[in-house]
Amino acid sequence: MPTERDFQISPVVQDSVVHNSRTLINLQSLTASLFGVGAGILGLESYYGFLFYIICSVLTTLLFYVVRVAPTSIPSGKAAFDTSRYYRSPYEFWTGGLLNGLAGFILTWTLFYGLVRA
Amino acid sequence: MAQIPVQTIHRDPQLFYWILFPITAVMILTGILRHYATILMATAPKKLDKKTMREQRSLLHGISVRGSFHVLSKKSFATRRDALTTAYESGAYLKDPERRGQAPPNPMSDPSSMEGMMGMMKNQMAMIIPNTLIMSWINAFFSGYVIMKLPFPLTIKFKSMLQAGVATKDMDPRWMSSISWYFLCFFGLQSVFNFLLGNDNAASQMAQQMNQMGPPGGAQMFGPGVDPDKQFLAEAENLAVIEHYSVLDGVEQRLLDSIVV
Repeated sequence: MPTERDFQISPVVQDSVVHNSRTLINLQSLTASLFGVGAGILGLESYYGFLFYIICSVLTTLLFYVVRVAPTSIPSGKAAFDTSRYYRSPYEFWTGGLLNGLAGFILTWTLFYGLVRA
Repeated sequence: MAQIPVQTIHRDPQLFYWILFPITAVMILTGILRHYATILMATAPKKLDKKTMREQRSLLHGISVRGSFHVLSKKSFATRRDALTTAYESGAYLKDPERRGQAPPNPMSDPSSMEGMMGMMKNQMAMIIPNTLIMSWINAFFSGYVIMKLPFPLTIKFKSMLQAGVATKDMDPRWMSSISWYFLCFFGLQSVFNFLLGNDNAASQMAQQMNQMGPPGGAQMFGPGVDPDKQFLAEAENLAVIEHYSVLDGVEQRLLDSIVV
């Protein structure tokens, strides 16, 4: 458990933390809308639509980890699936996107479901 | 238990072209308009005179010294602390030292503080006026139409919300009227604005409401009605109670520990 003193010895720059999480939120809200388009065209209803959303957004986060985080975080001595090099908490990284994109997902899901199934 | 038959309602496909797309387009365009209106209406921060600036900056100086004392050596921290505490307690940095100890002026009578309130009012107006207009526009032109079906089931409680203006008792709550499409757009268009206008846009009402929850610290600190003398005295006390240590304490040991032979 890092103490206040450890943070003073190796400080965390607030701007970088904000930038990192903002990049992730951008990606997640954009992809959530696109998943809504997909779910609408496939004609998914009720639980299947939400399941589709959860699986797809977890997959997106996983790809984000593999492509952007892992290449620099594993050589620096972190374990696999450890995001602490760039993000404060693992929960924020792995599940934060689910809520961020939900409204956009429902919007495009409803729109395309309505357009396709009329 | 008998299976409830799925309700189907045959709707004119023209509904999409004359209701759905206009509402969506108007929502997106108002968002873009609001973004640019906020940029245009933003007033440049007012130029402060020298005395006010000195008052604010010296208080910020004290706060930074308190916040990052660990990067200063003991001697230089003590020098800064003594200088700042003396100046704070004697009131050397005050804007008008002779008014020390009096009650702060009424914030409503001060013209400079009225300006800040006007800015807030303008932002509020930029949010409220378009919303009211669009709501009444939709109510006037599009009320009473059922345009879409939600892809997920809802309980009966949502019926009055989603089917406002459609007084049909047995209709499944999944069917929604044009006003509920407006609400869906209201909440869900943030990602579209992110894509169109960049991340820190002012288009979404949601984001603006978030900002209002936590007012920025700077405005609050030097806001009207705050007595700077009291702030100085409090800051002097804060500085006095700091128990100083440096990050360089024991650095040799840490360095030796980090070397693996």
